[in-house]
Amino acid sequence: MKQEIKDILESGLLEQYLLGDTTPAQDAQVQGLLKKYTIVREHFQQMEADFERMGLEQAVAPPISVRKQLMQTINEKETDPVSAPTSKSQKWYLPIAATLVILMGVTSFLVFQKLQGVQKDLKLVEEKNEQLQSSLDQMTTTLLALETQNKLMGDPNTQKYLLKGNDLSPDALAVGYVNHKDRKVVLDARQLPDLPTDQDYQLWADVEGVMINMGLVKKEDGFLAMNYITGAESMNLTIEPAGGSEHPTVSNLIANVYL
Amino acid sequence: MKKPSEIQLMLQVQKGNKLALGELYDRYSGALYAVIIKICRDEGLAQDVLQESFLKIWKKAGQFDPDKGAFYTWAFRLCRNTALNAKRNKKDLIQTEDLSVYKNREEPQNNPVDSEKLKGALSQLSEHHQQALKLVYFEGLTHREAHQVMDVPLGTFKSYIQQALRELRGIYKTSIISIILMIGL
Repeated sequence: MKQEIKDILESGLLEQYLLGDTTPAQDAQVQGLLKKYTIVREHFQQMEADFERMGLEQAVAPPISVRKQLMQTINEKETDPVSAPTSKSQKWYLPIAATLVILMGVTSFLVFQKLQGVQKDLKLVEEKNEQLQSSLDQMTTTLLALETQNKLMGDPNTQKYLLKGNDLSPDALAVGYVNHKDRKVVLDARQLPDLPTDQDYQLWADVEGVMINMGLVKKEDGFLAMNYITGAESMNLTIEPAGGSEHPTVSNLIANVYL
Repeated sequence: MKKPSEIQLMLQVQKGNKLALGELYDRYSGALYAVIIKICRDEGLAQDVLQESFLKIWKKAGQFDPDKGAFYTWAFRLCRNTALNAKRNKKDLIQTEDLSVYKNREEPQNNPVDSEKLKGALSQLSEHHQQALKLVYFEGLTHREAHQVMDVPLGTFKSYIQQALRELRGIYKTSIISIILMIGL
């Protein structure tokens, strides 16, 4: 079964389904797989969440008029006027009906005004609640971060490595925390000198002479989770063009430390 | 108070709640408009398509099934198809009306500012991954059409898409951990 799941995840079918590029038969197949395998479902949901986030990052605000028109169209479709039949015999109670309509109109207006007030209050309360929720979320995140950080630094399996700058960048200093047991690497980049905007720091692992990318190092992010590379003999810090490189620019190696 | 999820909102839309549709519009119209406008390459047409798409969401709300995928996935497909159809119909119309004009009007140039500029994690992807995602996400191409544009075999193109989505995952994961650790200090 494990192999089957692995095959599904690597087949590219989920990606095609996500992008709406599947046949109806493939749609049914994917929907069946999502139902059958929790791992496949979780994987797909994560993919959808990333896809949505990417979409939201690209957002372009449409003109307000589109929203107005949309809501107007929906309202119009629901409230098509219906003309009422009239006859002479009904005329005698028309003034009473008119009075009642006016009275109802006035009452409705008053109730409407009151309702508006209540809705406004409700909105304020909701906004306040949202702010509180947001503060709570932030505090929880902070707490989690502290816990994660304490756990990593306090773990006897975590080793601390200093990456001191060489002649190219004598003031540079970064601290790597490596936990081989949990396969985690965190880099404290706060003491690295600022770089021009067209350059980034990048961390590399040396595995039997081959440099493998451990990730970009953005000084402003402070503590960064880097990729753990199995069999790494050393960590090496280079200065690369902004966005990083596929291979390290060895002439820009500013620090390295053996693990 | 926690914001209702899109699934809760869609359940409300299925019951005819217009406010819920408005909320969905407020949350997602920007992201969907970005896709539509890049396919249509015409602001006026894109606005019509956006409105038409949300009308379809309103009318076809009953067809939405959260077990088959998230709201955004569903809405993205619906908007992309609506945009592709509108673009096709417009081309047909122009072609029928006046063939000599068609050549000049095939791709109107009144693109909104920044429509080509990629933002966020997408802009951090490797160039070939970026291009692959752009073709299927923004241009509305199928994998079969897109691999020809990139001039790579279909299998390679599929791998590009897979790798691109994994790269996105990596970027988002790293950014979340960095934020958490940064706030922790």
